[in-house]
Amino acid sequence: MQKKIMLLFVCSFALVQLFAQGQSIQFEKYTLPNGLKVILHEDHSAPVVAVTTLYHVGSKNEDTARTGFAHFFEHLLFEGSENIKRGEFDKYVTNAGGQLNANTTQDRTFYYELLPSNQLDLGLWLESERMMHAKIEQVGVNTQREVVKEEKRMRMDNRPYGSFLTEMLKRAFKVHPYKWAPIGSMDHLNAAKLEEFIQFYKTYYVPNNCVLSIAGDFNKAELKKKIEAYFAPIPKGTDVKRPNIIEPPLGGEVRAVIEDNVQLEGVFQAYRAPKQGGEEYYAFNVLSNILSGGESSRMNKTLVDTKQLAVAAQSVPFFNEDEGVFITLAIANAGVKAATLEQNMDSVVAELKTNLVSEREIQKVKNQIATEWVSSKASMAGIAENLANFEVYFGDANLVNTELEKYNKVTREDVLKVAKKYLNKDNRVVLYYVPKTKAATK
Amino acid sequence: MKKIVFPLLFCLPLISMAQKIDRTKAPAPGKAPLIQVGSPVKFTLANGLQVFVVKNTKLPRVSATLALDLDGFMEGNKAGLGDIAGQLMKRGTTTKSKAVLDEAVEYLGGSLSTSSLSASASSLKKNFPQLMGLMAEVVLHPALSAEELEKVRKQTLSGIESSKDNPDAISNNVMKKLVYGSNHAFGEITTTATVNNVQLDDVKKYFANYWKPNIAYLVFVGDIEPETAKALAEKNFGSWAKGTVTNPSFPKVTKPAQTYVAIVDRPASVQSVVAVATAVDLAQGAPSVIPSNVMNNILGGGFSGRLFANLREKHGFTYGAYSSLSPNRQVGIFSAESAVRNEKTDSAIQEILHEINVIRNEKVGDSELVRMKNYLSGGFARSLENPATIAGFALNVARYKMPADYYQKYLTNLASVNAQQVQDAAKALLNPSQMHIVIVGNAKQIAKGLEKYGPVKYFDLEGNEVAAPTEVKADASLTPEILIQKIINAAGGKEAIESIKDIQLTGTASVMGQSLEVNQKMVLPGNMVSVMSMGGMALMKQAVVDGKYTVSQQGMEAPITDELKAELDASAVLVPEHTYIAKGYQFKIVGAEKVEGNDAIDVEITNPAGKVSHRYYDANSYLLLKTSKSQEVPGRGAVTQQQFYKAYKTVNGIQLPSEELIDMGQIKINVKYTDIKANQGLKLADLK
Repeated sequence: MQKKIMLLFVCSFALVQLFAQGQSIQFEKYTLPNGLKVILHEDHSAPVVAVTTLYHVGSKNEDTARTGFAHFFEHLLFEGSENIKRGEFDKYVTNAGGQLNANTTQDRTFYYELLPSNQLDLGLWLESERMMHAKIEQVGVNTQREVVKEEKRMRMDNRPYGSFLTEMLKRAFKVHPYKWAPIGSMDHLNAAKLEEFIQFYKTYYVPNNCVLSIAGDFNKAELKKKIEAYFAPIPKGTDVKRPNIIEPPLGGEVRAVIEDNVQLEGVFQAYRAPKQGGEEYYAFNVLSNILSGGESSRMNKTLVDTKQLAVAAQSVPFFNEDEGVFITLAIANAGVKAATLEQNMDSVVAELKTNLVSEREIQKVKNQIATEWVSSKASMAGIAENLANFEVYFGDANLVNTELEKYNKVTREDVLKVAKKYLNKDNRVVLYYVPKTKAATK
Repeated sequence: MKKIVFPLLFCLPLISMAQKIDRTKAPAPGKAPLIQVGSPVKFTLANGLQVFVVKNTKLPRVSATLALDLDGFMEGNKAGLGDIAGQLMKRGTTTKSKAVLDEAVEYLGGSLSTSSLSASASSLKKNFPQLMGLMAEVVLHPALSAEELEKVRKQTLSGIESSKDNPDAISNNVMKKLVYGSNHAFGEITTTATVNNVQLDDVKKYFANYWKPNIAYLVFVGDIEPETAKALAEKNFGSWAKGTVTNPSFPKVTKPAQTYVAIVDRPASVQSVVAVATAVDLAQGAPSVIPSNVMNNILGGGFSGRLFANLREKHGFTYGAYSSLSPNRQVGIFSAESAVRNEKTDSAIQEILHEINVIRNEKVGDSELVRMKNYLSGGFARSLENPATIAGFALNVARYKMPADYYQKYLTNLASVNAQQVQDAAKALLNPSQMHIVIVGNAKQIAKGLEKYGPVKYFDLEGNEVAAPTEVKADASLTPEILIQKIINAAGGKEAIESIKDIQLTGTASVMGQSLEVNQKMVLPGNMVSVMSMGGMALMKQAVVDGKYTVSQQGMEAPITDELKAELDASAVLVPEHTYIAKGYQFKIVGAEKVEGNDAIDVEITNPAGKVSHRYYDANSYLLLKTSKSQEVPGRGAVTQQQFYKAYKTVNGIQLPSEELIDMGQIKINVKYTDIKANQGLKLADLK
C-alpha cells in the first residue's frame, strides 16, 4: 500500500515537472487607462493569430423580464458598426481567409477571429469597432431576432432532448438568475424595445468589462502600439454591477416527466454543486471523468457496454462563477424504461459514494485530464480563450500554466467526499424524457 | 512570465507614439507571412517500412500514424470489407479483450484509432512509448473475433439501413457508381447483402494480403527526437514481416459520350438532391492542381462561391449550393451539388450548368480572384496550426512523388495564379456536354422537361439501371363509385365483408431491432382494441369500444381529439371503403403510381373532418397496397407516414393483409400477423 502511494506521488510529480520545463505559456498582461485588460501571447510556430474579446456579461446579468439578451447580443454585434456596413462583418473575415465565431454562457460572452497573421490589423479593427460604436438598429434587431428564433428551433425545440438544459435549470434554481438558460425567452426578446438593447450595450460592452486576449504570430512591441491606437480612444463605461444572489439549498428531490419528439426515453439528473475553482470543483472534474471519460469509464462500461441499457451515457460538470450543477444523463436503448435506466445510473453513483476508487483508476483519469489539458493549448484560439477565462473568473491568467497541479492534488478521498456530499437525492433534479403520447394510427 | 504592475505608467509613453489609423475602412493586410513547413527526417526499416519524423516541440505530445500506400481495391460482392476490417482491428488483440485494451489506452491518457488503410495513436510524450506498443499489438496481433465481427456488422447494417432514407447518401452512392463504373474500386456500393457476405476469413485474408510494412508509411509528429522514433519503430514494427502485395488495378474511367440525367426515384421526396458530376484527370500534386482548386472555389467554394450566390442568394432555390474537386492519381472527381425544392429541380440544373459555362467561357475578374486567393491562403495558414497537417504534407510528397518543396512554395504558387489559368482549368476539367446529372427525387413531379439536358435514365438506390416508372394512366372510365365497387369485390364482396362479426389478429411487430407482440380484436361494426406489448407489458394501446375512445402509450393516456376519434373509427372497420359513401368520405382518383413495383391507382381521401390522406390500390387486383398521410410535426414541417400492406390471405372469404410495414422515415414498424381468426363469438366485454 505504502509503495503504491509513493509511486503515485512520483508519477504526479513527474507530470508537474514536465510542464515546469519550458512548456509554459509566456504572456504579458496590462490594462489600458479605459479599463480594457489586454493579454498577449506571442508564438511564431504558425502564421496565425487569434484576436478575441471576452465580455464579462452572460445570462445571469439579465433582467428577469428580459432573458436571452446576452446571447442575443452575440448575434446582434455582428450586424455592423459606424464603419462596417450591415452584413459585412463576416465577409471581411472570410475574404481574409479567416474564421470567426462567438459563444455565450451564463457568465460571459466571447468573440473571436482566427486570422492569417498578416491580417492581424483587420481583427483589431473589427473588435474595436464592435466595442466602440456597434450599430444597434431596429432593422438589425428584427433580423437577428428571427435568426435567434431559428437557432432555438434548430438547437432546442427540434432537437431531441434539446430542451433539457432549460427544463433542468428552471427546477434546479429558484432565485438565482442561473434558473434560465442563455437562450432565454423569445417573448422577452419580442417585447424588448430598441432603447433597451442600446442600454444593454452601453452598460456591458465597455472596455472596463472586457479582456482583449490575442495569441499568435505577431511582434509584441508593434502590436501594443496598434492596440493603443484602436482601443484607447474608446471611453470607459460605468462600473458593472454583478448579481449577488445566494441560492438556498434545493430542499428535496425535484422530478418531472417531459414529453418530447424522441423515440428513446432519456434520464437527465442534475445535482446542485459548488462554484467553479475550489478544491471541490477539481475533485468533481476528476469524478466526472471516472464516470464518463472514454470507453473504459464506469457509465460507458456498465450502462452502454455490459448491460446494454443505454445507447449513450455521460456526465457533464456544468460549473459557473456562482454555483454549479453536476449533470448525469443517459439515453435508453429501444425498449428500456427510464425508471430502469435511472436505477442503474443510481447504482453507478452509489458505488462512488461507498467505496474509494482504485489507485489505477484515479491515475487513469488524471492521465486523461493531463492529455486534454495539454491539447487545449494546441491552437492559438484555445490559448487566447483560456487566458481570458482564467483572468476573468479567477483574476489569474497564469492558471493556464498551473491549473493541472490542482487536478493532480485531488485524492481518492476527495472524490469520495464530494460524491457523498453532493450526489444525494435531496440535492437533485431528475427529468425523464419520454415520447409524446400520440396515436400511432393503424 | 512578465506582469505589468503599473499599467498607467506603462501606457503613458505609448500614447504619444500611438499610430494614426483610419477607422473608416478595413486595414490592408500586411506582407504575406513566411510559411515554414518543416521537412521530415526520413528513414526506412529493413522490412521496407518508411518512417517520417516531423519534430514539433511546442507541446509535450506525440502522435504516430501508420498508413498503407493503397488507393483502394475491389471488394466485389463483399463491399464494405475494408471498413469492417478497419473497425475490427481495434476491438481486442490476441492477448487483450476489447475492455482491457480500451482501459490500457485510456490509462495512458491516449487515443488509438484504426481504419481500413490506417492506424494512429496519440498521447503525451511520456506515455507514448507504451501507447506505441499497444498500437503495434493492434496492428500485428488483432484478435479478429467472430463475436466482435458480428457487433461491427450490426452497426454497419444499421448505418446502411438509415442511409436508405438519406437522399444525400443515395446521391453520393449512385454518383460514385456512375462516374467511376461498377468495375472500379471507387465506384463500389456497400449494401446489406455485401456486408452480410463478409466472413471472418475474408477479414483475415484482407490483413494478410494488404497489411505489409513494405507498402506502409509510419509518420511521427510531435515532441520526439528522430533517434527515439527510430528506436520505437524498430522495436514495435521491426519484426513485421514484409511480403508481396499485388497492386490493385484500376480500369480506365471513361466519361459518358453525352450528358445524361440519372434519376433515382424517391416518391417521398419534397426536395431534389441534384449533382452535376464528372471524372477528372487531375493527380495529386500536378502543376494544375492549384489553379484548378482556385477555379473550383470561385465556382462553388462555401458561402462565397458563385453557385451559392446564384442558387441561394439570387434565386432562393435552396439553402446551399457548392462544388467540390478531388484530385486523385487514379482518377479524380468534380461535382456541383445542391438540394432544391422539387419544382425548382429543372431550374437548378440549368443554373449550375450556366455557372459551369460562365467559368469556362469568361475570365474571372481581378477582385474576385484576389479575394479567393486570400481566402485560400488564409485557410492554408490556419491549417498549419495542426501538426497533423505537416504529417499529411510529408505523406503526400512521398506517396505522390511531389517536389520536396511543394508545400513550402504553395503560397507563392497560389499567389501567382492568374485568370487565364483559372479559365484553362475549367476548360480542361469541366465539359458540360459530358456530365452525369444525378437527381434523387420524386420522379413524377420533377422528370418533366429534363430531356433537354440529355437522355433521362432511371436507377435504383444501388445504382442499377431500372425501367422508367411507367406513367400508369388511371382508367378514364373508372369513377369513384365503380372503383369502390371493384375494391369491395376484390376484398371478398359486400356479403362476405358483412358476414364477419368479429375478428382477432395476433402477431409480432419489429421496431428498431426489438420484437413486440401485437394483438388486435374487433367486434363489428365499430369496436376495436389494438395492443402492442413487450414481455406481457402493454406499451401501446388504442381502442374504441361502445363509443369510448382510449389511446395510451406506456400507461400514459393521450388526450382524445376529434381527429383521433375519426382515425380510431376508421380503424374499427374491416374494409373501410365499404362504408365510405355512407359516412360522407370524399373519394377522388388523382393518378397512378408504382408501389413496390406494382401499378397502383392513387386515390385522395378526405374524411368528414376534412383530413386528407392517400390510398393506393393495385391497378389489377384492386387490393389496397399503401396508405400515405402527411402530419405536421412542430418545427419540422410536414412529415409523411406511409403504410404498406402485403401478403394477403383469405379469411372467411375476405382478403386481409398478413403483413404491414409502417414507415415513418426514421422509424419503421414491421408487423406480421401469424394468426387471424374470424367469427369466434367475441363480445364487447372481450375487448380489453
